[in-house]
Amino acid sequence: MESFVTELLTLLFAALRSATPVLAVVLGEAMTQRSGVINLGVEGQMLLGAMTGFAVASISGDPWLGVLAACGAGIALSMVHAILVLGCRANQIASGVAVLILGGGLSAYYGIPFVGNKIDTLGNLNHTFVSDIPLLGQFLGPITPTVLITLLAIPAISIFLFRTRTGLRWRSTGESQEITRNLGHSPVPYQLAAIAFGGLMSGFAGAALAVDYTANWVEGMTAGRGLVAVGLVIVARWNPWYALPAALLFGASEALNLKLQSWGVPISPYLLATLPYLIPLSVLMLSYRGLRASGGGMPAGLRVVFQSAR
Amino acid sequence: MTITTQPAVRFGLRLLRGPTGAVLIMAATFVLAALTFFAINGRESISLFQEMVMGAFGDGYSFSETLVKTAPILLTALAVALPARLGLISVGGEGQLYLGALFGTGAVLAAVDQPGWLLMPLMLMGAMAGGALWGVIPGLLKTRLGVNETISTLLLNYVGVLLVSFVVHGPWKNPNSLGWPATIEFPQGAILPQFFDTRVHMGLIFGVVAAIMLHILVTRSRWGLGLQVSRSNPRVGATAGISYERNVLIVMAIGGLLAGLAGIAEASVIQNRLQDGLASGYGMTGFLVAWLAGQHFLRIIPLSVLMGGLLASADSLQLYAQLPKASADILQALLFIIVLAVASLWPNRPKA
Repeated sequence: MESFVTELLTLLFAALRSATPVLAVVLGEAMTQRSGVINLGVEGQMLLGAMTGFAVASISGDPWLGVLAACGAGIALSMVHAILVLGCRANQIASGVAVLILGGGLSAYYGIPFVGNKIDTLGNLNHTFVSDIPLLGQFLGPITPTVLITLLAIPAISIFLFRTRTGLRWRSTGESQEITRNLGHSPVPYQLAAIAFGGLMSGFAGAALAVDYTANWVEGMTAGRGLVAVGLVIVARWNPWYALPAALLFGASEALNLKLQSWGVPISPYLLATLPYLIPLSVLMLSYRGLRASGGGMPAGLRVVFQSAR
Repeated sequence: MTITTQPAVRFGLRLLRGPTGAVLIMAATFVLAALTFFAINGRESISLFQEMVMGAFGDGYSFSETLVKTAPILLTALAVALPARLGLISVGGEGQLYLGALFGTGAVLAAVDQPGWLLMPLMLMGAMAGGALWGVIPGLLKTRLGVNETISTLLLNYVGVLLVSFVVHGPWKNPNSLGWPATIEFPQGAILPQFFDTRVHMGLIFGVVAAIMLHILVTRSRWGLGLQVSRSNPRVGATAGISYERNVLIVMAIGGLLAGLAGIAEASVIQNRLQDGLASGYGMTGFLVAWLAGQHFLRIIPLSVLMGGLLASADSLQLYAQLPKASADILQALLFIIVLAVASLWPNRPKA
């Protein structure tokens, strides 16, 4: 029994670690969508963040500098989306795909010299007071700084969004740009900030993956995590608190995939690797049933985006 | 005699204010952006650009390689443009392509001893079924549950690629391939016909014929009109007996089967077997081409040739100028961004 509990807790904390990059993107994209803008480019921003973060960490020797650079890279690339969507009124899905391809291309192109490099990691909570906590210490010890930062972002975002005046306007912009305009505010600064924040979080997510979680750079290493995150935003109902369980879905499927492989379950690792896509997709299906019935908190401005599609 | 009185110039100016002007500015901006990209990376931009153009259209061989790349781009672009007629944004060309290759190869392996006249149709039908399946699933999710098709198609792409990896690493792996994950070589009867001793294959013909047929169907038939009605107002369509749900499934299935054909053509002609890394990126390129063409079936044909040229020249420059493969992605993205940006400057939105 005790070994079962240990096993389960190990799985849960492994899920938390592998969910962190996805969680960061879900949080950022939820904020972007709350302002009425959808950005599929997060996948590309995440890749560029991962590459930049790894490259800077590798050159400077300071992984924290890498994390900062990754955030900058994410913001910079998200500005392409901002210019196309806010400046040129381009279709948001098309612009997102353009950013996705650009980020993938840039990261593959400039990442070549860094493939196979070694970097210093951000460390973890082992050998701090946390790992001395009885029973839980062994699980809390391997937690890394990006996990903590991302978890702390949840209450911060929630307070901003639901407890501040700016957060209120941010949300109202997503519901109806007209309302924001009629109140004498331009929706553009809010949407610009929302896209930039999405860029920041996806760049950070890239660093969480490349600098922290794997300490490695491989072309296309995000493998759709950004796109899974866009789907999970819907599961999370655009709510930062629900983002955690939603992202844990991905993390748990990935942890389960790795766990089953290590147990030597006679299922092909390639089939098991479909779990992190199929499980979020299945939950998305369930989630849509609720969404259809209640509206489920989708920012009304997004409905326009999805329907005026083309 | 001032300049404006010359009719030729006036005609030219009027043309510039219309769609032609937009296209010219898009092209010029793209060339400038490409040259800048090369220059930033310390390349002889002008000569490299010349080599790119030559690598795509310079001689018979280059052009044939361009057409080889054109086929899958054309088919996957159609797989995007047809659902777009109903207002759907499918990004699933990649996964449908892989599923087509998977099912087509399955048919080949199951009927490997059969003569060509039987094997070939079986292979093509398998491919179409596989691609259509990967189109119908997001279609069903959309109609039954309302799941956004953009997200479901994007996620299913990854699943499709993994399923192909699964069979070539596992049950369908050729035992004599010395550990290389691939199926056995396709028998002669399962190799699509090619033309003029080049690698240009039937897939291109499928694509061109499909584009023309779809154009006629959508613009001239009752069904095409129904799509328009369904798209602008499903309720009005329903009162006229046009089922939006059924149309979603139909366009997703047809789109999927076309992308599936692209997949089996790659496996059969280009690789001669099913293996990992079958055709990475054609799905995205197809999405981009469909968008550049404004989801117009006939415009997709020349644009696919141009984009095929870009990919083919990137391949040859990878060999001769050590230009990383990713530069093709960057150039595609730049082109897409420029077109989206420039199109917004024209009031009547000439394209896209």
